Amino acid sequence: MNSALLRGFLNKTWRTSILVPLKTYVPQPPVLLNLNCSRNTSFFNKLPAEDIWRGVTAVSNAGKKRGRGKGTGKKTAKDLNRGQTIGLGKKNFVWPGLNSPIIRGNDLIQQQPLAENLEREKNIIKLRDSMGGFRMMKLNPIDRGWSGSKMPGRSIGPPDAVGDEEFESFDTRVLENKIVFIMKGNMGRKRRYSVLSVTGNGNGLAGFSVAKAPEVRTALRKSKNRAGQKLINIDLCENRTIYHDFYTGFGKTKIFCFKKPEGYGLVCHRAIQTICKVVGIKDLYAKIEGSTNLQHIVKAFFIGLMRQKSYQTIANATNLHVVEFQKATNGVAQIQAVPLTTEATNKPPNRIIDFMQYTLGNKIVLKKKKIAPFYVNTKGHTLYQIKQERFRNQANVRLHKLVNQ
Amino acid sequence: MSLFRHIRSLNALQILRPGRRHLSTASLQYDQDPQPLFTDAETQSLLQSMTQLQLDKVFRKRTVPDNSTEMKFMTPDQLEKEFVQAIEKARHLLQMPPIVKVKVDTERLISKDAALKDFASTKYVFTDITYGLPQSERKVVVRESDGTLAYANLETVKRMNQLYFPLEGRKSYIPRMFTDEELLKSALDTHKYEFILDRATVQYEPYEPEFHNILSRVFEHLNESKQFDLLRSTRHFGPMAFFYAWHRCIDDLLYDMIRRDYLHNAAELIALSYKIHKIPLDYRSTLEQISALRSTPAEKALEDLRNSIQAPEERQRVGGIEQEIHLAIGKTENDFASDEICLKFIEQYIASEHALKKVQLELAIQTLKEVNLEKLQLFKGLKKAHGVNVN
Repeated sequence: MNSALLRGFLNKTWRTSILVPLKTYVPQPPVLLNLNCSRNTSFFNKLPAEDIWRGVTAVSNAGKKRGRGKGTGKKTAKDLNRGQTIGLGKKNFVWPGLNSPIIRGNDLIQQQPLAENLEREKNIIKLRDSMGGFRMMKLNPIDRGWSGSKMPGRSIGPPDAVGDEEFESFDTRVLENKIVFIMKGNMGRKRRYSVLSVTGNGNGLAGFSVAKAPEVRTALRKSKNRAGQKLINIDLCENRTIYHDFYTGFGKTKIFCFKKPEGYGLVCHRAIQTICKVVGIKDLYAKIEGSTNLQHIVKAFFIGLMRQKSYQTIANATNLHVVEFQKATNGVAQIQAVPLTTEATNKPPNRIIDFMQYTLGNKIVLKKKKIAPFYVNTKGHTLYQIKQERFRNQANVRLHKLVNQ
Repeated sequence: MSLFRHIRSLNALQILRPGRRHLSTASLQYDQDPQPLFTDAETQSLLQSMTQLQLDKVFRKRTVPDNSTEMKFMTPDQLEKEFVQAIEKARHLLQMPPIVKVKVDTERLISKDAALKDFASTKYVFTDITYGLPQSERKVVVRESDGTLAYANLETVKRMNQLYFPLEGRKSYIPRMFTDEELLKSALDTHKYEFILDRATVQYEPYEPEFHNILSRVFEHLNESKQFDLLRSTRHFGPMAFFYAWHRCIDDLLYDMIRRDYLHNAAELIALSYKIHKIPLDYRSTLEQISALRSTPAEKALEDLRNSIQAPEERQRVGGIEQEIHLAIGKTENDFASDEICLKFIEQYIASEHALKKVQLELAIQTLKEVNLEKLQLFKGLKKAHGVNVN
């Protein structure tokens, strides 16, 4: 300790020293004054560590209002002193007077090295790792919504029972959860949460509703229960899909829905996917044109589902047979509906009616041309394709070989 | 890369394996050339009639890569065309694989050029790959390393054909189910008869001994498990009936037909066995009588299709109550009449020395007679009640 202090002192004297001429006179160059200024007060030794840390990581109040620093608070400072004691360090040593008494009995204890402690470093790092750090809320992967731990897409259980009537086998999913403001005469800008949710039993019975409340939890509950009060019955084709392709719209949102064969799955906007799961539709392709406003999508889709016609209705309206051709049955005609009155049906129709055109209400889906990736016409890609060509059947051959051994 | 290595090592093992494993041979084999009898027009019509044409079964749902559906509007005229096409397609799907005799490989030398000896260390195979030739006419010759030029053997010809003009579904190696006794047995035990037969038909040519062997194995197993209905309305029912008739073991199939009330089929089966074994009994007159009373399977299927598009009120107007009664009972007067003729013919067979399981067949006939009598009474009663004249 002493030696260290002394060294510091000497250093300082040297820095501020003035070259003094020696007693014996020797002709000298002019006196040179070397003066180094040092300032010992600074930002770092004036403020406590806490303030310094906050100054680096936090955002000012004004900044916060503008939406800066959303991630602050996730990282906390680590106390590096924890787990360390004076006298015990990298070098395991006996320091008399620091970590051991100076005199034991009649003996004067000398400085001496001890066996190296390999565990110490590891333990300290382990302790530091366990400190602080932001922990995500534990959420089972199955319960996750569309994105992280956010509400949209997440299940909030069946609506609450009304009297003795329980909503068995119902499930509610949040579609939208957002903050909305209104102006009040006495309170000014008032903040509320708006929740759009859809509930259904997975078997053709479903409802949706929007509810607002100052608290998220209340809004969720209100929305869920209100959806339970607004149930709509939707007929499912073969208990898995829609009866026919249809066009539907609400506001600027236009949706084209297509009936798909078994095993196709749900290929559509995530909101429509969620609704389909709740309603019980398993195979569907939907294309949205125009606005993707969530509330409009939901409303348009429900309107479309409700407006579906049965094959018999279509056959009666057009006076034509409705026939299905399945590729799985070798493309043989299967009659789905026979018109009630067959008078004049044998005349060729004055115009050719396409079934899809009829059900889509003469709307045509916008089919955009796919833009080829930038590398398609490059030399490297051509070479790659040439090299790959010989492996084009490899996966098949490999599979067959594995099967047949 | 490790997978590559694995496959390569497996391939090496396969090459090293001494000789291909073979299935055990079936006990029943065709002793003469069955082809003339099988392709005979009369036999074919009998087999087709026995096969029946159940559209639901022919066009049942299968696993396909693209199972999409298409909806269409159609006028009755368009539908009629569609029905005719469907029947045509069904008949095409039910075309029977031919039963021909096993071809024996013969060595056919073209020339022996001693001067060309050791021209190369390997054989050379030359294949005529002219477009549009049938497989049987494609010339394949082999130049041996000792200078001999000869026509290739059947195996090489088949291999070359598959190489240049691949048949969909046929593999260049033999599927394991046809080399591994246990696999074939497990397939048979789970009654996957159609699958086995379909695959054998694709994999083998009809003249190959393996094809005959597999067919016999399947039919023998079927005769024991008695699941004949699995093959009804498939292209393999005809060859199966032919096989039993040839080897004088039709009784189980006959019993099954009687039990399911396919009496005309039973009569046809007996007639076929008479025909094959040249038994001096007149079966042609009986067959003529039956065919006069009954429509062919294709005609019947087309009729059913046409009826299916009639609106309920129209059905009332056209066929009236008579058709309703026929639908309810499932038989018409003609059917009852043909049943009478068939029963006589079958009883004659059972009484003869050709039937082996007499007691069982007699019992089945007796039960059927009682059921039919009840149906007939109900049929007549219904007609009377509705005021339709009974003949």
